Amino acid sequence: MQDRPRADELAEAVREFIETEVLPTTDDPRLRFRALVAANGLGILEREIAVGAPLVRREVGALMRLLGSADSVPDDLDELRRRASDLNRELSRRIRAGDAPEGTLVHLLATVADKLRVASPRYLERYR
Amino acid sequence: MTRDRGQDVSVELRERLIPLFGGDIAIERLALLAGGASKEAWALDLRTPQGTRLLLVRRAGGGVIHQQTLSLEHECRLLEVAYAAGVRAPQPYGYLGEIVGRPAFVSERVSGETIGRRIAQRPELAGARAVLPAQMAEELAKIHAIPADRVPFLEAGGPHDVLTRLERELDSVEEPHPAIELGLAWAKSRAPDRGDVVVLHGDLRVGNLAVTEAGLGHVLDWEFAHLGDPTEDVAWPLVRAWRFGVDQMRLGGIGEVEPYLERYNALSGRHISLASLDYWEIVGNLKWAIGALTQARRHLSGQQRSVELAVIGRLAAEMEFELLHLLERAG
Repeated sequence: MQDRPRADELAEAVREFIETEVLPTTDDPRLRFRALVAANGLGILEREIAVGAPLVRREVGALMRLLGSADSVPDDLDELRRRASDLNRELSRRIRAGDAPEGTLVHLLATVADKLRVASPRYLERYR
Repeated sequence: MTRDRGQDVSVELRERLIPLFGGDIAIERLALLAGGASKEAWALDLRTPQGTRLLLVRRAGGGVIHQQTLSLEHECRLLEVAYAAGVRAPQPYGYLGEIVGRPAFVSERVSGETIGRRIAQRPELAGARAVLPAQMAEELAKIHAIPADRVPFLEAGGPHDVLTRLERELDSVEEPHPAIELGLAWAKSRAPDRGDVVVLHGDLRVGNLAVTEAGLGHVLDWEFAHLGDPTEDVAWPLVRAWRFGVDQMRLGGIGEVEPYLERYNALSGRHISLASLDYWEIVGNLKWAIGALTQARRHLSGQQRSVELAVIGRLAAEMEFELLHLLERAG
């Protein structure tokens, strides 16, 4: 067991350092831009630590229903990620073969929205 | 960039500029504006007997050149042809050969706003936004009228070739992307037959234009030029990622599509329809979604370590989401 700060708290501390100490004192526009991108990257990391596991569980469940898989949903996070990757590969293969399951578009709208909840929540709001 | 390397560049550069500007020249300022593994840009202030010229030197970077882009020699040649055809391209002065082991060319250094968010949103550029749609149409019409035999090094492809190349690039990412697959499958079933094949800029959009308060100053960033269906170029600035937060303005966050398309059709004599723009807008989103994934691979593979390229891998989901909404609407 690691001591505090937790991983999410560390990412938050580094992001706050960039936002409150680096950016206000940086004039070079290229460096400013990359510092903003770096802070954004840490924000993604914070959100993934917070909600990544339940979202990948939800994605695996949805993929199994879409593809008619009767396997059980794994508990282990690494196992879940592997399963999500395998099922997405299967879905991709079927779409390319012209054999997309019924409901694919609706499934993908929900799944990509979940990716954006981690990667870019403000972008998601622009579609409301 | 060490001081020595910078000095070497300066010395060789001056020698190569003598045939273009005469022997009575001196470098007043030479500053690296943008580095990167593939291409560098140097601001050069050159004293000549006629006064100081503000120049831009484009030079290859130290890393691997991006596969789908023009060489610097070809980019310079294309600029010469486009400039002679009356396109508002920066005036090229010549290909310089290798400067300290890397190819380079020199052009005028133009001023104007290039940052997309500012062009779409700054109040002082409202007048520019009013005239930009027609001006973008005019530049595209001029570029598309360049005789292809003047630029024989450009690669050609019809609508189906575009999709084949995108599928190959997606496969190179080695990560499943069912949303992109759905878009590719849709596009394959609706790709138009090969029609006109013309010179395309390949990346003409807000963000690659130098804009002043009077409107479009210059068309920049020619490295993605190729031959293809003109509608590919006309639809590219509609892609939502190039609206810079002003989503309701479908043309680059600055204007409506209809007057832009009418102007283009009037000047080019073509009859591009809104429906065919819809098709190519979807292909444009596919292109940029896959582009974001491959850019992240440049970082992940070690070809060009960059926090910007790393983060862009996660932003491919934005283009996927837009793509799915466009597919839903297209049916």
